[in-house]
Amino acid sequence: MAAETRRHRGIFNLAALLILWEVVGRLDLVAGGALPGFTEILARLWVDRADYPLHIWATLTASAVGFMLGNLAGIGAGVVFALSATALRLFRGVNVAIFALPPIAIAPILVLTLSGMAPRIVLAALGVYFVTMTSTVIGLSQADSRATDMIRAYGGTKRDVLRLVQFRGALPTILAGLRIAAPNAVLGAILAEFGGGGRWGLGAYLLGSLGRGEPDRLWGIGLVATLIAGASYGAFALLSTRFLGATRAVTLNTAVPTGKPDPGHPLKRAALAVGSLALPFLMWWAFIRLTGVPDMIAKTPLGVVDYLFVAPTAEAAQAKLLAALGQTLPITFLGMAAGLAFAFVLAISSKLIPHAVEAFTPVALVTQTMPLVALTPLLVLILGRGNALTLWVTISVTFFPAFVTLAQGIALVPRTAGDLPRVYGASLWTEMRMVTIPAALPYLFAATRLTVPRALLGVMIAEWLATGKGLGNLLNQSRGYLDYGMIWTVAAVSVGLSVAFYQLVVFTERRVLRRLGMTTAE
Amino acid sequence: MSAPDGIALAGVSKTFAGRGKVVEALRDVSLTCPAGSFTAIIGPSGCGKSTVMRIALGLETADTGEVRIVGDTPLAAARAGVTGVAFQDAALLPWRSVRRNVEVPLEVLRQKPAEHAERVQGMIELVGLKGFENALPGELSGGMRQRVAIARALVTHPQVLFMDEPFGALDQILRRQMNVELQRIWTETGSTALLVTHGIDEAVFLADRVVVMHADPGRIVEVVDVSFDRPRRPPLFSDPAFHKVCDHIAEVLHGG
Repeated sequence: MAAETRRHRGIFNLAALLILWEVVGRLDLVAGGALPGFTEILARLWVDRADYPLHIWATLTASAVGFMLGNLAGIGAGVVFALSATALRLFRGVNVAIFALPPIAIAPILVLTLSGMAPRIVLAALGVYFVTMTSTVIGLSQADSRATDMIRAYGGTKRDVLRLVQFRGALPTILAGLRIAAPNAVLGAILAEFGGGGRWGLGAYLLGSLGRGEPDRLWGIGLVATLIAGASYGAFALLSTRFLGATRAVTLNTAVPTGKPDPGHPLKRAALAVGSLALPFLMWWAFIRLTGVPDMIAKTPLGVVDYLFVAPTAEAAQAKLLAALGQTLPITFLGMAAGLAFAFVLAISSKLIPHAVEAFTPVALVTQTMPLVALTPLLVLILGRGNALTLWVTISVTFFPAFVTLAQGIALVPRTAGDLPRVYGASLWTEMRMVTIPAALPYLFAATRLTVPRALLGVMIAEWLATGKGLGNLLNQSRGYLDYGMIWTVAAVSVGLSVAFYQLVVFTERRVLRRLGMTTAE
Repeated sequence: MSAPDGIALAGVSKTFAGRGKVVEALRDVSLTCPAGSFTAIIGPSGCGKSTVMRIALGLETADTGEVRIVGDTPLAAARAGVTGVAFQDAALLPWRSVRRNVEVPLEVLRQKPAEHAERVQGMIELVGLKGFENALPGELSGGMRQRVAIARALVTHPQVLFMDEPFGALDQILRRQMNVELQRIWTETGSTALLVTHGIDEAVFLADRVVVMHADPGRIVEVVDVSFDRPRRPPLFSDPAFHKVCDHIAEVLHGG
């Protein structure tokens, strides 16, 4: 009954939104017609219908192949990491780098070193790998310890446990991962199309239509991209609800978890830490050697150091880079802080104004499936090409995932925890201060970790496509000037910054939460 | 030559290192269960009674001392299919039907379930679940799930049967029914049984001997012989002699 009313309300909200959109669009109320009416967009889609099949096909094949390869790598790596804690620690550097890298920063590199569809496929695969790998590791290691004990008590090996308990038990978690990974693949393919200069693909189409001042066409492309990403999300959501039914343990596992495994000899730990730090650079170097691209174009880690510090042009390069950083970093932090703050306030106020937040939550969930960043050209129409654009892109790409993470976290707070202060006559504000806000803290950190790379990505895309400032612009310009050293440098610096900031958040998170006696939220 | 003891632990000690402090889980524990006997271990939380069982199953290794299951090491005995085990809360695989859950030990022991279909069916009938072969654990009541766990523990025809609080999640009424059934099933199989439990009456009703343990460090403080005739019937639960044994064990448990 309740589910039905909620569904009705959802349909009602959607219809209201569409009507509002239509009225606002028809009357050209937003930035002089930058937002066309919904039916105008559909009409334009019909007019352009001959263009779409080839563009859609290009994006779809690249993201599908990338999705498959990324998942193969992610699941394979996840199994290895679940079996060997040493491997997991050794690859930590690589994994964090892959998670934190802003795809747009390495798109030009991939275009330089690979050819044809390969850059798009690799970028799509990179967007998929981390999500799938993490969910595989979590799924496999969350196996019911009682069932695992049972297999081992009959003399079963690690492989038996994997075969009989872990794989099947991990399936829902892996499927949930695939659900999030699928739109990532589409986003990766579109971003590579931005940087790749190919003719076909929705990204290329979007970029090509950007300068022509046809809002209805841009919106049409955005709509199609969103539909593709959303459909891929929906397909896996459907698959995972089918499996979930018979997978949850019937009773609660009351076995006491056996703490973290012994961290090992300090020397071994140090060796692993060094190895984990060195491995990304080793892979960078090996990638260049394997692709056989000449040194002129492909820079090894040493090549970048040489370009930035040794070569005669080093000083000029440094100056350009620093100027770009000076433009990019402040706006990244500002946008991210604003996005997180909005999300935090809205999420904790779900206790105060439950209905407003309830109505908003589906919208936030839907945006999870949108290649939001790829829709930057749409925002250009509305906001122009100034700093406001960069700020809004950043806020929107950080706000939605942060809000979803926080809202889901707060929903997990047991009712009784909030009832307790209320029994003693506490005000709503006291209850929030004592229960909701502290309980949301681990999720605020989780949301921050999640949004670091997105914020940088958002800023860089806005700079690349529209504002002509900062790192994103420097990257785009360097492509034009064939300044290969700078392309590699910007890529390395932006990945490095993203990783460093991510690590800073992780470090703060551990210290703060440990002092409060809480554990990190995934 | 006499048959080797079902379970033999000699001078077993075990310490756990956790978060800066060392817990002495077991100190010099020796316990011998003759073939075909029923032994219950009882003690407060954290006295190491589950650790005794986990060591006997080969899930943990003892720091010192020796463990023999029918004359073999725990791992060798497990691989040979000598042991059967039922854990607290059934620990069924939620995605497998009753029949497929009962088949799990056979699969681990590399025996083809198809060749043992009759035995599997027999076990399901023995625990009174005929007609539920294709049900999923989520569709069963707590008592029925526990019966599946017992059937699974018995499907390999184990010589040694381990049970770690198998009825811990059940209510008192259901628990007594299951106790009566467990006795019946155990009598039919003639295996050596070791039961870890919190319930004094359950231990006294089922076991030939009740081993009482204390914590800090985990150790055996007394072994109480229980000599009521078998088969024991539910009226025994209200027999004064039964209560005398229970009261004695309660005193030992509370350090009397």
